[in-house]
Amino acid sequence: MPTMPFAEAAAAWWVWPLALFCLTFFLGIVAVIAGVGGGVLFVPIVASFFPFHLDYVRGAGLVLALTGTLAASPALLRSGLANLRLVLPLALVGSVCSLAGAVIGFALPVAVVQTALGVIIVAVAVLITLARGADGIAGVDPARFDWRSRRGVLGIASFGGIGFVGGLFGLGAGWANVPALNLLMGLPLKVAVGTSGLAISLINSSAAWVYIGRGALLPAVAMPSILGVMLGSRIGARLLHSMSSEAVRRIVIAVLALAGARALLRGVGIWP
Amino acid sequence: MKPRHGMKHDAQEIYARWLEAGSKLAFAFALATLLLYLAGALPPLVPLAELPRLWTLSAAEMMREAHAPGGWSWLHYLRYGDYLNVLGISLFALLALICTARVVPAFWRSGERMQALLALLQVLVLLAAALHLFPGAH
Repeated sequence: MPTMPFAEAAAAWWVWPLALFCLTFFLGIVAVIAGVGGGVLFVPIVASFFPFHLDYVRGAGLVLALTGTLAASPALLRSGLANLRLVLPLALVGSVCSLAGAVIGFALPVAVVQTALGVIIVAVAVLITLARGADGIAGVDPARFDWRSRRGVLGIASFGGIGFVGGLFGLGAGWANVPALNLLMGLPLKVAVGTSGLAISLINSSAAWVYIGRGALLPAVAMPSILGVMLGSRIGARLLHSMSSEAVRRIVIAVLALAGARALLRGVGIWP
Repeated sequence: MKPRHGMKHDAQEIYARWLEAGSKLAFAFALATLLLYLAGALPPLVPLAELPRLWTLSAAEMMREAHAPGGWSWLHYLRYGDYLNVLGISLFALLALICTARVVPAFWRSGERMQALLALLQVLVLLAAALHLFPGAH
């Protein structure tokens, strides 16, 4: 039986999309268990260890976060865990800034975007490590807890910054939305998570058009990623109660730190 | 902002209903177009064998090399499997625009004028993004 040499197999077009599907399937599982968005893991890992240009990775990451939140939002809206009225002013500012971030991302040299991505991802790893204290009100039922959002102007401003970063790097930005809604605006954690998902679906939609118009949405990169994360998150949701979320969280933080450092070193040319 | 516990969230329920139906349709369409693309039922504009070389290039370089269309010009290329797949992915980006436009009259009718205005502004931003009506779009 003739065997395909490894180099020839690696050059075949389907090898990398298949590897991408396997990776994103795993990321989908891990993201649910660790309570982080798939996009924030996807962009640094794929940008660092796959041969795709950063443009397609950012485009796929953005659509990946968008599709995940689109699928979850109807249930979140009906349960009251996402609040459309609260999201509208936040998403409006976030959408404009996300659009600006995406346009600027295409204007900047790729090494600058890669370096900045590395810095952001390392900062996200630190933020996730420090955010442990926010779990204190996780058990509160938002339907019975009379909450009221506060610091609206600061909240809107923070969504502007978060939207810009999300559009620039193709990240879902739940890692920043949730602390902004929970710690800054005072929403119960569950409502913050649900509302963040709804906000991402609106904010990422504006930046997605930039990536589509610029030809940065390559179906061979985007579609296996979307399907992999979707299937993986379903498995992750089933495994949620049988696995130690703290252990998975530590792995995610380590992977983020590694991928962030790799992106940073690649951006400055030390580890091309 | 005060939450509206105990009230019937008409606009929120409409948004959820349209988003649910739309996202199911978009997922089905994107999956079907992916299968057509991978099965070779429709020829791709960019040959599959060329992808490993092209995806190392920036999007601008790839478009030049592959003579790929930018902006909305790709709508003329839907006979190709890869661009029909781009249409499938674009539907996801279109959903927020459609659902937000749908709740503008719902907010207006219920007397929530500020929410109607915010939703309308959101529609205009998404429309400007979709039509590439902003600096640096091309």
